[in-house]
Amino acid sequence: MKFFYRCIAVALVVTVLAVAFVPSVSDWVEQVFQQYVGRAAR
Amino acid sequence: MEIAKKTLIVVACLLLIPVTAVTTAAAKQRFADGPNRVFSGGPLESGDLHRGPDPDWLFVSDIPTIELQLLDPPRSRRIWTAEFDGKIYVWSGYMSTAVGRLWKRWPVQAERDGRAVIRIDGTRYERELVRIKSGEILDGITAAISSKYPSKTTRAAVEAGEAWVFEAAPRE
Repeated sequence: MKFFYRCIAVALVVTVLAVAFVPSVSDWVEQVFQQYVGRAAR
Repeated sequence: MEIAKKTLIVVACLLLIPVTAVTTAAAKQRFADGPNRVFSGGPLESGDLHRGPDPDWLFVSDIPTIELQLLDPPRSRRIWTAEFDGKIYVWSGYMSTAVGRLWKRWPVQAERDGRAVIRIDGTRYERELVRIKSGEILDGITAAISSKYPSKTTRAAVEAGEAWVFEAAPRE
């Protein structure tokens, strides 16, 4: 489990950095979020 | 029991990744000059401020979305717009669903304080959002909305509070 937690921690840091500093990544995240929220609202 | 607990922890940890991605993207957009898609952006800062008489709003018929910022709170979002009878209108659907009310807070904020700025093609316009709850004018507005977008907004839906329609009137 310890190894799994470390992997998750690394994944979270990579996620934050990628979304914060790579414009196409944040745009993609927003696009996917838009699809899910739009579906849920209907 | 131990396996179920571990499975739950693994699922929660994996879910944390998309939640973090969405939270980071939303927070990042707050510092931007305007919105992108669904996340609110910061104040609309760039672009010339329109002075003088109101333009002929018919030109928004060819524009899919505009950027709208309220003065309080100073956050912006991208929304649909329509022109009817020389005036410009914005609206928000899903207002009777729980998710919709959670997602779309700007209509409630606009009803409290309608002062707004809209940005179209790089030009900013100072406006006052005035909610239209009922009346024959809604027939024309909703017809304009339906002819422009794949929307089922009707006068009945607006009068039932399912969609909130605002005129983006000139600010005094």
